[in-house]
Amino acid sequence: MNQPATVAVTGLTVRHRRTVALDALDLSLSPGVHGLLGPNGAGKTSLIRVLATVAAPSSGRVELLGGDVAGHRERTAIRRRLGYLPQEFGYYPGFTVREFVAYVAWLKEVPADRAAAAVERAVARVGLADRIDDRIKTLSGGMVRRAGIAQAIVNEPELLLLDEPTAGLDPEQRVDFRELLRELGTEATVVVSTHLVEDVAAACTDVALIEGGRLAFRGPTAELAALGGESAAPGDSTTNAIERGYTAALRTHRESAGAGAVRTKEALR
Amino acid sequence: MTSPRPAADWHVTEALALRYAEGAASETDAWSLEKHVESCSLCAGRVSAAVRAGAAGPALASLRAELLASVGHRPAPVPAVAASPLGRWARLWWAAGPALRGSWVVAVALVLGGAFALAYGAGFQGARSWLLALSPVLPLGGVAVSYGRHADPLYEITAATPSGGLRLLLTRAAAVLTVCVPLLTAGGALLPPVAGFPGAAAWLLPGLALTLATLALGSFVGCRAAAATVAGGWLLAVTGPLLGPSATGPTGTTEGSAAAIARYFSGPTAQGSWAVAALACAALLVLRRRSFDHLETR
Repeated sequence: MNQPATVAVTGLTVRHRRTVALDALDLSLSPGVHGLLGPNGAGKTSLIRVLATVAAPSSGRVELLGGDVAGHRERTAIRRRLGYLPQEFGYYPGFTVREFVAYVAWLKEVPADRAAAAVERAVARVGLADRIDDRIKTLSGGMVRRAGIAQAIVNEPELLLLDEPTAGLDPEQRVDFRELLRELGTEATVVVSTHLVEDVAAACTDVALIEGGRLAFRGPTAELAALGGESAAPGDSTTNAIERGYTAALRTHRESAGAGAVRTKEALR
Repeated sequence: MTSPRPAADWHVTEALALRYAEGAASETDAWSLEKHVESCSLCAGRVSAAVRAGAAGPALASLRAELLASVGHRPAPVPAVAASPLGRWARLWWAAGPALRGSWVVAVALVLGGAFALAYGAGFQGARSWLLALSPVLPLGGVAVSYGRHADPLYEITAATPSGGLRLLLTRAAAVLTVCVPLLTAGGALLPPVAGFPGAAAWLLPGLALTLATLALGSFVGCRAAAATVAGGWLLAVTGPLLGPSATGPTGTTEGSAAAIARYFSGPTAQGSWAVAALACAALLVLRRRSFDHLETR
Protein backbone atom coordinates (compact mmCIF):
# COMPACT_ATOMS: atom_id res chain seq x y z
CA MET A 1 0.00 0.00 0.00
CA ASN A 2 1.64 3.20 -1.13
CA GLN A 3 -1.04 5.59 0.15
CA PRO A 4 -1.08 6.55 3.84
CA ALA A 5 -3.56 4.55 5.90
CA THR A 6 -6.74 6.44 6.80
CA VAL A 7 -7.85 3.65 9.13
CA ALA A 8 -5.31 2.01 11.41
CA VAL A 9 -6.65 -0.48 13.92
CA THR A 10 -4.34 -2.48 16.17
CA GLY A 11 -5.30 -5.16 18.67
CA LEU A 12 -8.95 -4.15 18.56
CA THR A 13 -11.07 -6.19 20.94
CA VAL A 14 -14.78 -5.63 21.48
CA ARG A 15 -16.73 -7.56 24.07
CA HIS A 16 -20.49 -7.59 24.48
CA ARG A 17 -20.96 -8.74 28.03
CA ARG A 18 -19.45 -12.22 27.95
CA THR A 19 -19.12 -12.76 24.21
CA VAL A 20 -16.16 -11.54 22.22
CA ALA A 21 -17.29 -9.74 19.06
CA LEU A 22 -13.82 -8.75 17.85
CA ASP A 23 -10.67 -10.49 19.00
CA ALA A 24 -7.38 -8.55 18.75
CA LEU A 25 -8.08 -7.40 15.20
CA ASP A 26 -5.42 -5.57 13.21
CA LEU A 27 -6.53 -3.75 10.08
CA SER A 28 -5.28 -0.85 8.02
CA LEU A 29 -7.19 0.76 5.17
CA SER A 30 -6.38 3.47 2.66
CA PRO A 31 -8.63 5.34 0.16
CA GLY A 32 -10.67 3.00 -2.02
CA VAL A 33 -13.72 0.79 -1.62
CA HIS A 34 -13.21 -1.99 0.89
CA GLY A 35 -15.67 -4.82 1.21
CA LEU A 36 -16.25 -6.21 4.67
CA LEU A 37 -17.48 -9.77 4.31
CA GLY A 38 -18.27 -12.45 6.81
CA PRO A 39 -20.97 -14.76 8.07
CA ASN A 40 -23.73 -13.38 10.29
CA GLY A 41 -22.44 -12.61 13.76
CA ALA A 42 -18.82 -12.47 12.60
CA GLY A 43 -18.32 -8.99 14.05
CA LYS A 44 -18.90 -6.82 10.96
CA THR A 45 -21.34 -4.46 12.65
CA SER A 46 -19.20 -4.31 15.80
CA LEU A 47 -16.23 -3.22 13.69
CA ILE A 48 -18.25 -0.63 11.75
CA ARG A 49 -19.66 0.85 14.98
CA VAL A 50 -16.17 1.20 16.45
CA LEU A 51 -14.92 2.82 13.23
CA ALA A 52 -17.95 5.16 13.29
CA THR A 53 -16.87 6.34 16.79
CA VAL A 54 -20.18 5.12 18.18
CA ALA A 55 -18.97 2.17 20.25
CA ALA A 56 -15.87 2.09 22.39
CA PRO A 57 -13.34 -0.70 21.95
CA SER A 58 -12.79 -2.89 25.00
CA SER A 59 -9.10 -2.70 24.21
CA GLY A 60 -6.84 -1.80 21.32
CA ARG A 61 -6.00 1.33 19.42
CA VAL A 62 -8.15 2.93 16.72
CA GLU A 63 -6.71 5.70 14.56
CA LEU A 64 -8.96 7.30 11.96
CA LEU A 65 -7.89 9.99 9.48
CA GLY A 66 -4.71 10.49 11.48
CA GLY A 67 -6.41 11.01 14.87
CA ASP A 68 -6.90 8.73 17.84
CA VAL A 69 -10.59 8.19 18.67
CA ALA A 70 -9.81 8.05 22.38
CA GLY A 71 -9.04 11.80 22.46
CA HIS A 72 -12.05 14.09 22.75
CA ARG A 73 -10.81 16.85 20.48
CA GLU A 74 -9.50 14.46 17.85
CA ARG A 75 -12.72 12.47 17.94
CA THR A 76 -14.78 15.60 17.24
CA ALA A 77 -12.50 16.44 14.31
CA ILE A 78 -12.85 12.88 12.98
CA ARG A 79 -16.64 13.01 13.28
CA ARG A 80 -16.83 16.07 11.03
CA ARG A 81 -15.12 14.07 8.28
CA LEU A 82 -17.04 10.86 8.81
CA GLY A 83 -20.11 9.38 7.13
CA TYR A 84 -22.02 6.52 8.70
CA LEU A 85 -25.01 4.52 7.52
CA PRO A 86 -26.14 2.24 10.35
CA GLN A 87 -27.61 -1.14 9.54
CA GLU A 88 -30.87 0.05 11.05
CA PHE A 89 -31.71 3.68 11.56
CA GLY A 90 -34.74 5.66 12.55
CA TYR A 91 -35.97 9.02 11.36
CA TYR A 92 -38.42 11.61 12.53
CA PRO A 93 -41.73 10.77 10.88
CA GLY A 94 -42.62 14.35 10.03
CA PHE A 95 -39.38 15.03 8.18
CA THR A 96 -39.02 15.21 4.42
CA VAL A 97 -35.93 13.77 2.75
CA ARG A 98 -34.50 17.27 2.47
CA GLU A 99 -35.11 18.03 6.15
CA PHE A 100 -33.67 14.70 7.25
CA VAL A 101 -30.46 15.13 5.27
CA ALA A 102 -30.22 18.81 6.24
CA TYR A 103 -30.63 17.89 9.90
CA VAL A 104 -27.68 15.52 9.68
CA ALA A 105 -25.71 18.20 7.82
CA TRP A 106 -26.41 20.51 10.76
CA LEU A 107 -25.27 17.85 13.22
CA LYS A 108 -22.11 17.32 11.19
CA GLU A 109 -21.42 21.06 11.28
CA VAL A 110 -21.52 21.58 7.53
CA PRO A 111 -21.19 25.39 7.14
CA ALA A 112 -24.65 26.96 6.79
CA ASP A 113 -23.86 28.68 3.50
CA ARG A 114 -22.91 25.40 1.86
CA ALA A 115 -25.48 23.16 3.51
CA ALA A 116 -28.44 23.71 1.16
CA ALA A 117 -26.38 22.86 -1.92
CA ALA A 118 -24.69 19.93 -0.16
CA VAL A 119 -28.09 18.47 0.75
CA GLU A 120 -29.40 18.72 -2.81
CA ARG A 121 -26.22 17.21 -4.20
CA ALA A 122 -26.24 14.30 -1.76
CA VAL A 123 -29.91 13.54 -2.47
CA ALA A 124 -29.33 13.77 -6.24
CA ARG A 125 -26.37 11.40 -6.01
CA VAL A 126 -28.54 8.65 -4.53
CA GLY A 127 -31.21 9.26 -7.19
CA LEU A 128 -33.89 10.73 -4.91
CA ALA A 129 -33.92 14.24 -6.38
CA ASP A 130 -37.53 13.88 -7.52
CA ARG A 131 -38.67 12.85 -4.02
CA ILE A 132 -36.61 15.38 -2.05
CA ASP A 133 -39.65 17.17 -0.62
CA ASP A 134 -41.63 14.02 0.15
CA ARG A 135 -41.97 12.81 3.71
CA ILE A 136 -39.71 9.90 4.50
CA LYS A 137 -42.58 7.84 5.88
CA THR A 138 -44.20 7.83 2.43
CA LEU A 139 -41.11 6.28 0.80
CA SER A 140 -40.46 2.61 0.13
CA GLY A 141 -37.82 0.67 2.07
CA GLY A 142 -35.25 1.01 -0.70
CA MET A 143 -35.79 4.76 -0.91
CA VAL A 144 -35.44 5.15 2.86
CA ARG A 145 -32.11 3.36 2.62
CA ARG A 146 -31.04 5.69 -0.17
CA ALA A 147 -32.03 8.66 2.01
CA GLY A 148 -29.81 7.05 4.65
CA ILE A 149 -26.94 6.91 2.18
CA ALA A 150 -27.57 10.58 1.31
CA GLN A 151 -27.22 11.63 4.96
CA ALA A 152 -23.98 9.65 5.18
CA ILE A 153 -22.40 11.45 2.22
CA VAL A 154 -23.79 14.96 2.81
CA ASN A 155 -20.55 16.23 4.37
CA GLU A 156 -18.42 14.63 1.61
CA PRO A 157 -16.75 12.37 4.16
CA GLU A 158 -13.18 11.17 3.91
CA LEU A 159 -14.16 8.01 5.76
CA LEU A 160 -17.49 6.49 4.80
CA LEU A 161 -18.88 3.50 6.70
CA LEU A 162 -21.87 1.71 5.23
CA ASP A 163 -23.44 -1.18 7.09
CA GLU A 164 -25.49 -3.33 4.69
CA PRO A 165 -26.23 -0.44 2.32
CA THR A 166 -27.74 -2.59 -0.42
CA ALA A 167 -30.33 -4.28 1.80
CA GLY A 168 -33.75 -3.47 0.37
CA LEU A 169 -32.46 -2.04 -2.92
CA ASP A 170 -33.77 -3.58 -6.10
CA PRO A 171 -31.25 -4.87 -8.70
CA GLU A 172 -31.29 -1.69 -10.78
CA GLN A 173 -30.75 0.55 -7.75
CA ARG A 174 -27.95 -1.74 -6.64
CA VAL A 175 -26.18 -1.24 -9.97
CA ASP A 176 -26.50 2.54 -9.61
CA PHE A 177 -25.33 2.35 -6.03
CA ARG A 178 -22.21 0.38 -6.92
CA GLU A 179 -21.42 3.03 -9.53
CA LEU A 180 -21.73 5.67 -6.79
CA LEU A 181 -19.49 3.58 -4.52
CA ARG A 182 -16.74 3.42 -7.13
CA GLU A 183 -17.01 7.16 -7.62
CA LEU A 184 -16.80 7.84 -3.86
CA GLY A 185 -13.90 5.43 -3.51
CA THR A 186 -11.64 7.49 -5.76
CA GLU A 187 -11.26 10.09 -3.00
CA ALA A 188 -12.53 8.61 0.25
CA THR A 189 -11.98 5.46 2.24
CA VAL A 190 -15.23 3.56 1.90
CA VAL A 191 -15.96 0.52 4.05
CA VAL A 192 -18.98 -1.51 2.93
CA SER A 193 -20.22 -4.26 5.17
CA THR A 194 -22.25 -6.71 3.14
CA HIS A 195 -23.25 -10.30 2.83
CA LEU A 196 -23.79 -9.97 -0.91
CA VAL A 197 -20.75 -11.27 -2.73
CA GLU A 198 -21.83 -9.57 -5.97
CA ASP A 199 -21.56 -6.15 -4.27
CA VAL A 200 -17.95 -6.95 -3.56
CA ALA A 201 -17.29 -8.27 -7.05
CA ALA A 202 -18.77 -5.16 -8.67
CA ALA A 203 -17.58 -2.33 -6.49
CA CYS A 204 -14.81 -3.28 -4.08
CA THR A 205 -11.12 -3.12 -4.88
CA ASP A 206 -10.24 -4.94 -1.76
CA VAL A 207 -11.80 -7.35 0.73
CA ALA A 208 -11.54 -8.00 4.45
CA LEU A 209 -13.16 -11.25 5.48
CA ILE A 210 -14.05 -11.55 9.15
CA GLU A 211 -14.97 -14.72 10.95
CA GLY A 212 -15.42 -15.17 14.69
CA GLY A 213 -14.04 -11.70 15.41
CA ARG A 214 -10.80 -12.33 13.54
CA LEU A 215 -9.49 -11.51 10.11
CA ALA A 216 -9.74 -14.57 7.88
CA PHE A 217 -8.60 -12.91 4.68
CA ARG A 218 -7.35 -9.52 3.63
CA GLY A 219 -6.36 -8.58 0.11
CA PRO A 220 -7.50 -7.48 -3.34
CA THR A 221 -10.82 -8.87 -4.57
CA ALA A 222 -9.04 -10.69 -7.38
CA GLU A 223 -6.90 -12.53 -4.86
CA LEU A 224 -9.95 -13.81 -3.00
CA ALA A 225 -11.40 -14.97 -6.33
CA ALA A 226 -8.11 -16.75 -7.09
CA LEU A 227 -8.29 -18.61 -3.74
CA GLY A 228 -11.38 -20.38 -5.05
CA GLY A 229 -9.31 -22.09 -7.72
CA GLU A 230 -10.27 -22.82 -11.30
CA SER A 231 -13.79 -23.89 -12.04
CA ALA A 232 -14.56 -26.68 -14.46
CA ALA A 233 -18.01 -25.24 -15.16
CA PRO A 234 -18.28 -23.21 -18.36
CA GLY A 235 -19.41 -19.60 -18.17
CA ASP A 236 -18.21 -19.24 -14.60
CA SER A 237 -18.57 -15.66 -13.35
CA THR A 238 -16.38 -13.58 -11.07
CA THR A 239 -19.13 -13.70 -8.47
CA ASN A 240 -18.96 -17.49 -8.38
CA ALA A 241 -15.17 -17.38 -8.13
CA ILE A 242 -15.37 -14.98 -5.19
CA GLU A 243 -17.99 -17.15 -3.54
CA ARG A 244 -15.67 -20.15 -3.81
CA GLY A 245 -12.75 -18.03 -2.58
CA TYR A 246 -14.88 -16.86 0.35
CA THR A 247 -15.70 -20.44 1.32
CA ALA A 248 -12.09 -21.57 0.87
CA ALA A 249 -10.73 -18.70 2.98
CA LEU A 250 -13.26 -19.40 5.72
CA ARG A 251 -12.39 -23.09 5.74
CA THR A 252 -8.66 -22.39 5.95
CA HIS A 253 -9.25 -19.87 8.71
CA ARG A 254 -11.37 -22.25 10.76
CA GLU A 255 -8.75 -24.97 10.47
CA SER A 256 -5.90 -22.67 11.49
CA ALA A 257 -7.98 -21.05 14.23
CA GLY A 258 -8.56 -24.54 15.58
CA ALA A 259 -4.79 -24.99 15.79
CA GLY A 260 -4.55 -21.69 17.64
CA ALA A 261 -2.75 -19.81 14.90
CA VAL A 262 -4.21 -16.80 13.16
CA ARG A 263 -2.93 -16.56 9.66
CA THR A 264 -3.99 -13.46 7.88
CA LYS A 265 -2.85 -12.10 4.59
CA GLU A 266 -1.37 -9.15 6.42
CA ALA A 267 0.60 -11.30 8.76
CA LEU A 268 2.12 -13.03 5.77
CA ARG A 269 3.28 -9.80 4.19
CA MET B 1 -20.16 3.39 -44.22
CA THR B 2 -23.31 4.73 -45.77
CA SER B 3 -23.23 6.80 -48.89
CA PRO B 4 -23.71 10.58 -48.40
CA ARG B 5 -27.38 11.39 -48.16
CA PRO B 6 -28.95 13.85 -50.63
CA ALA B 7 -29.18 17.18 -48.81
CA ALA B 8 -32.47 18.21 -50.37
CA ASP B 9 -35.03 15.80 -48.91
CA TRP B 10 -33.16 14.45 -45.85
CA HIS B 11 -34.07 15.82 -42.42
CA VAL B 12 -33.11 15.00 -38.88
CA THR B 13 -35.63 12.63 -37.26
CA GLU B 14 -36.63 12.95 -33.60
CA ALA B 15 -34.95 9.63 -32.86
CA LEU B 16 -31.65 10.76 -34.36
CA ALA B 17 -31.82 14.12 -32.55
CA LEU B 18 -32.29 12.23 -29.29
CA ARG B 19 -29.39 9.86 -29.99
CA TYR B 20 -27.22 12.81 -30.92
CA ALA B 21 -28.11 14.62 -27.69
CA GLU B 22 -27.16 11.55 -25.70
CA GLY B 23 -23.91 11.20 -27.60
CA ALA B 24 -25.07 7.83 -28.88
CA ALA B 25 -25.33 8.65 -32.58
CA SER B 26 -22.78 6.97 -34.84
CA GLU B 27 -19.97 9.10 -36.19
CA THR B 28 -21.35 9.23 -39.74
CA ASP B 29 -24.85 10.10 -38.52
CA ALA B 30 -23.49 12.83 -36.27
CA TRP B 31 -21.44 14.22 -39.14
CA SER B 32 -24.46 14.27 -41.49
CA LEU B 33 -26.56 15.94 -38.81
CA GLU B 34 -24.00 18.62 -38.06
CA LYS B 35 -23.58 19.42 -41.75
CA HIS B 36 -27.35 19.51 -42.26
CA VAL B 37 -28.28 21.84 -39.37
CA GLU B 38 -25.99 24.52 -40.82
CA SER B 39 -28.51 25.04 -43.56
CA CYS B 40 -31.84 23.83 -42.10
CA SER B 41 -33.22 25.94 -39.23
CA LEU B 42 -36.12 23.53 -38.63
CA CYS B 43 -33.75 20.65 -37.87
CA ALA B 44 -31.41 22.92 -35.92
CA GLY B 45 -34.32 23.81 -33.63
CA ARG B 46 -35.21 20.14 -33.23
CA VAL B 47 -31.63 19.17 -32.31
CA SER B 48 -31.09 22.00 -29.86
CA ALA B 49 -34.39 21.18 -28.14
CA ALA B 50 -33.22 17.58 -27.74
CA VAL B 51 -29.85 18.70 -26.36
CA ARG B 52 -31.45 21.11 -23.89
CA ALA B 53 -33.71 18.33 -22.61
CA GLY B 54 -30.77 15.94 -22.28
CA ALA B 55 -28.02 15.54 -19.73
CA ALA B 56 -26.11 18.59 -20.96
CA GLY B 57 -29.19 20.81 -20.46
CA PRO B 58 -28.38 22.22 -17.01
CA ALA B 59 -24.79 22.97 -18.05
CA LEU B 60 -25.98 24.77 -21.17
CA ALA B 61 -28.57 26.72 -19.20
CA SER B 62 -26.02 27.95 -16.68
CA LEU B 63 -23.57 28.80 -19.47
CA ARG B 64 -26.33 30.80 -21.17
CA ALA B 65 -27.15 32.61 -17.94
CA GLU B 66 -23.49 33.45 -17.39
CA LEU B 67 -23.11 34.70 -20.92
CA LEU B 68 -26.22 36.86 -20.61
CA ALA B 69 -25.05 38.21 -17.26
CA SER B 70 -21.64 39.08 -18.68
CA VAL B 71 -23.23 41.18 -21.45
CA GLY B 72 -25.41 42.99 -18.91
CA HIS B 73 -28.62 41.01 -19.17
CA ARG B 74 -30.40 40.57 -15.85
CA PRO B 75 -31.83 37.10 -15.39
CA ALA B 76 -35.44 36.66 -14.32
CA PRO B 77 -35.77 36.29 -10.55
CA VAL B 78 -35.47 32.69 -9.39
CA PRO B 79 -38.87 31.35 -8.34
CA ALA B 80 -39.53 30.83 -4.64
CA VAL B 81 -39.25 27.05 -4.97
CA ALA B 82 -35.48 27.33 -4.93
CA ALA B 83 -35.46 29.43 -1.75
CA SER B 84 -33.04 28.14 0.86
CA PRO B 85 -34.69 25.75 3.29
CA LEU B 86 -31.85 26.46 5.66
CA GLY B 87 -33.14 29.79 6.83
CA ARG B 88 -32.55 30.61 10.43
CA TRP B 89 -36.09 29.76 11.51
CA ALA B 90 -36.10 26.50 9.62
CA ARG B 91 -32.85 25.48 11.27
CA LEU B 92 -34.22 26.38 14.67
CA TRP B 93 -37.32 24.35 13.98
CA TRP B 94 -35.29 21.29 12.99
CA ALA B 95 -33.12 21.64 16.02
CA ALA B 96 -36.11 21.90 18.30
CA GLY B 97 -38.71 19.89 16.43
CA PRO B 98 -37.58 16.39 17.32
CA ALA B 99 -37.39 17.41 20.98
CA LEU B 100 -41.08 18.11 21.12
CA ARG B 101 -42.27 14.56 20.83
CA GLY B 102 -45.99 14.18 20.39
CA SER B 103 -46.56 12.07 23.47
CA TRP B 104 -44.85 14.56 25.72
CA VAL B 105 -46.69 17.58 24.31
CA VAL B 106 -49.92 15.67 24.85
CA ALA B 107 -48.89 14.96 28.47
CA VAL B 108 -48.23 18.65 29.12
CA ALA B 109 -51.55 19.58 27.55
CA LEU B 110 -53.33 16.95 29.66
CA VAL B 111 -51.84 18.27 32.89
CA LEU B 112 -52.82 21.83 31.99
CA GLY B 113 -56.26 20.79 30.80
CA GLY B 114 -56.73 18.67 33.91
CA ALA B 115 -55.86 21.58 36.18
CA PHE B 116 -58.37 23.81 34.39
CA ALA B 117 -61.05 21.13 34.49
CA LEU B 118 -60.49 20.65 38.23
CA ALA B 119 -60.54 24.35 38.97
CA TYR B 120 -63.48 25.44 36.82
CA GLY B 121 -65.33 22.21 36.20
CA ALA B 122 -65.18 20.62 39.65
CA GLY B 123 -64.62 23.81 41.59
CA PHE B 124 -61.48 22.38 43.20
CA GLN B 125 -59.69 25.18 45.01
CA GLY B 126 -56.25 23.62 45.13
CA ALA B 127 -55.82 23.21 41.33
CA ARG B 128 -53.25 25.97 41.13
CA SER B 129 -51.04 24.50 43.83
CA TRP B 130 -51.19 21.08 42.21
CA LEU B 131 -50.21 22.52 38.84
CA LEU B 132 -47.36 24.35 40.53
CA ALA B 133 -46.23 21.13 42.17
CA LEU B 134 -46.27 19.21 38.90
CA SER B 135 -44.77 21.94 36.71
CA PRO B 136 -41.09 21.39 37.64
CA VAL B 137 -41.17 17.73 36.54
CA LEU B 138 -42.83 18.29 33.17
CA PRO B 139 -39.65 19.52 31.44
CA LEU B 140 -37.83 16.44 32.75
CA GLY B 141 -40.20 14.21 30.82
CA GLY B 142 -39.56 16.25 27.70
CA VAL B 143 -35.81 15.84 28.07
CA ALA B 144 -36.12 12.13 28.76
CA VAL B 145 -38.19 11.40 25.66
CA SER B 146 -36.09 13.48 23.28
CA TYR B 147 -32.47 12.47 23.79
CA GLY B 148 -30.46 9.32 24.13
CA ARG B 149 -30.26 5.78 22.86
CA HIS B 150 -33.70 4.76 24.12
CA ALA B 151 -35.63 7.82 23.04
CA ASP B 152 -34.14 9.26 19.86
CA PRO B 153 -34.81 7.28 16.66
CA LEU B 154 -31.85 9.04 15.07
CA TYR B 155 -29.52 8.10 17.94
CA GLU B 156 -27.26 5.78 15.96
CA ILE B 157 -26.64 8.52 13.38
CA THR B 158 -26.31 11.40 15.88
CA ALA B 159 -23.82 9.40 17.95
CA ALA B 160 -21.34 9.56 15.06
CA THR B 161 -21.64 13.33 14.58
CA PRO B 162 -19.63 16.12 16.24
CA SER B 163 -22.79 17.88 17.51
CA GLY B 164 -24.59 14.80 18.74
CA GLY B 165 -23.43 15.29 22.32
CA LEU B 166 -24.05 18.13 24.73
CA ARG B 167 -24.88 20.61 21.96
CA LEU B 168 -27.82 18.55 20.77
CA LEU B 169 -28.95 17.77 24.32
CA LEU B 170 -28.92 21.45 25.33
CA THR B 171 -30.73 22.46 22.14
CA ARG B 172 -33.48 19.99 22.89
CA ALA B 173 -33.67 20.85 26.59
CA ALA B 174 -33.96 24.52 25.59
CA ALA B 175 -36.76 23.67 23.17
CA VAL B 176 -38.58 21.78 25.90
CA LEU B 177 -38.26 24.73 28.31
CA THR B 178 -39.35 27.17 25.61
CA VAL B 179 -42.63 25.30 25.36
CA CYS B 180 -43.04 24.66 29.10
CA VAL B 181 -42.23 28.06 30.55
CA PRO B 182 -44.87 30.23 28.86
CA LEU B 183 -47.51 27.49 28.79
CA LEU B 184 -47.30 26.46 32.44
CA THR B 185 -46.73 29.94 33.81
CA ALA B 186 -49.68 31.39 31.90
CA GLY B 187 -51.77 28.37 32.85
CA GLY B 188 -50.94 28.86 36.52
CA ALA B 189 -51.75 32.55 36.36
CA LEU B 190 -55.16 31.87 34.85
CA LEU B 191 -56.19 29.46 37.60
CA PRO B 192 -57.97 30.83 40.67
CA PRO B 193 -55.38 31.91 43.26
CA VAL B 194 -54.94 29.93 46.45
CA ALA B 195 -54.69 31.96 49.64
CA GLY B 196 -51.15 32.32 50.97
CA PHE B 197 -49.71 30.65 47.91
CA PRO B 198 -46.85 31.95 45.74
CA GLY B 199 -47.42 33.34 42.24
CA ALA B 200 -47.53 31.40 39.02
CA ALA B 201 -43.88 32.11 38.24
CA ALA B 202 -42.65 30.45 41.43
CA TRP B 203 -41.98 27.15 39.67
CA LEU B 204 -39.43 28.62 37.24
CA LEU B 205 -36.33 28.33 39.42
CA PRO B 206 -37.22 24.89 40.79
CA GLY B 207 -38.03 23.77 37.24
CA LEU B 208 -34.69 25.04 35.94
CA ALA B 209 -32.81 23.47 38.84
CA LEU B 210 -34.47 20.09 38.38
CA THR B 211 -33.85 20.17 34.60
CA LEU B 212 -30.17 20.97 35.13
CA ALA B 213 -29.99 18.29 37.82
CA THR B 214 -31.39 15.81 35.29
CA LEU B 215 -28.79 16.80 32.70
CA ALA B 216 -25.96 16.63 35.23
CA LEU B 217 -27.09 13.28 36.60
CA GLY B 218 -27.73 12.17 33.03
CA SER B 219 -24.04 12.61 32.26
CA PHE B 220 -23.46 9.66 34.58
CA VAL B 221 -26.45 7.38 34.12
CA GLY B 222 -28.17 8.56 30.92
CA CYS B 223 -31.03 11.01 30.58
CA ARG B 224 -33.87 8.56 30.92
CA ALA B 225 -32.71 7.15 34.26
CA ALA B 226 -31.76 10.62 35.48
CA ALA B 227 -35.16 12.08 34.62
CA ALA B 228 -36.93 9.19 36.34
CA THR B 229 -34.78 9.59 39.47
CA VAL B 230 -35.13 13.36 39.75
CA ALA B 231 -38.84 13.37 38.93
CA GLY B 232 -39.46 10.51 41.37
CA GLY B 233 -37.53 12.31 44.08
CA TRP B 234 -39.44 15.53 43.53
CA LEU B 235 -42.84 13.85 43.54
CA LEU B 236 -41.93 12.02 46.75
CA ALA B 237 -40.83 15.27 48.33
CA VAL B 238 -44.07 16.97 47.33
CA THR B 239 -46.49 14.18 48.18
CA GLY B 240 -44.58 12.66 51.09
CA PRO B 241 -45.68 15.18 53.73
CA LEU B 242 -49.28 14.83 52.56
CA LEU B 243 -49.35 11.13 53.31
CA GLY B 244 -48.25 11.57 56.90
CA PRO B 245 -51.02 12.44 59.41
CA SER B 246 -49.16 15.47 60.77
CA ALA B 247 -49.27 17.27 57.43
CA THR B 248 -53.04 17.44 57.30
CA GLY B 249 -53.81 20.89 58.54
CA PRO B 250 -56.58 21.56 60.99
CA THR B 251 -58.74 23.15 58.34
CA GLY B 252 -58.71 20.24 55.90
CA THR B 253 -56.55 18.32 53.48
CA THR B 254 -56.61 20.80 50.63
CA GLU B 255 -55.19 23.69 52.55
CA GLY B 256 -52.78 21.45 54.41
CA SER B 257 -51.38 20.08 51.18
CA ALA B 258 -51.20 23.55 49.67
CA ALA B 259 -49.16 24.69 52.65
CA ALA B 260 -46.87 21.69 52.33
CA ILE B 261 -46.27 22.41 48.64
CA ALA B 262 -45.89 26.13 49.27
CA ARG B 263 -42.89 25.47 51.51
CA TYR B 264 -40.89 24.46 48.48
CA PHE B 265 -41.68 27.63 46.57
CA SER B 266 -42.38 30.61 48.78
CA GLY B 267 -39.94 32.92 50.37
CA PRO B 268 -36.51 34.14 49.39
CA THR B 269 -34.86 31.21 51.22
CA ALA B 270 -36.58 28.57 49.12
CA GLN B 271 -36.08 30.44 45.85
CA GLY B 272 -32.48 31.27 46.78
CA SER B 273 -31.78 27.62 47.48
CA TRP B 274 -33.19 26.67 44.07
CA ALA B 275 -30.98 29.26 42.41
CA VAL B 276 -27.91 27.89 44.17
CA ALA B 277 -28.89 24.34 43.26
CA ALA B 278 -29.36 25.37 39.61
CA LEU B 279 -25.92 26.99 39.56
CA ALA B 280 -24.31 23.96 41.19
CA CYS B 281 -25.91 21.60 38.66
CA ALA B 282 -24.89 23.87 35.79
CA ALA B 283 -21.30 23.85 37.08
CA LEU B 284 -21.34 20.06 37.34
CA LEU B 285 -22.72 19.88 33.81
CA VAL B 286 -19.89 22.07 32.53
CA LEU B 287 -17.37 19.74 34.20
CA ARG B 288 -19.09 16.72 32.70
CA ARG B 289 -19.68 18.27 29.25
CA ARG B 290 -17.58 15.74 27.43
CA SER B 291 -19.40 12.73 28.76
CA PHE B 292 -22.23 13.14 26.24
CA ASP B 293 -20.12 12.57 23.17
CA HIS B 294 -18.29 9.65 24.67
CA LEU B 295 -18.04 6.25 23.07
CA GLU B 296 -20.73 3.84 24.06
CA THR B 297 -19.50 1.03 26.28
CA ARG B 298 -21.46 -2.04 27.11
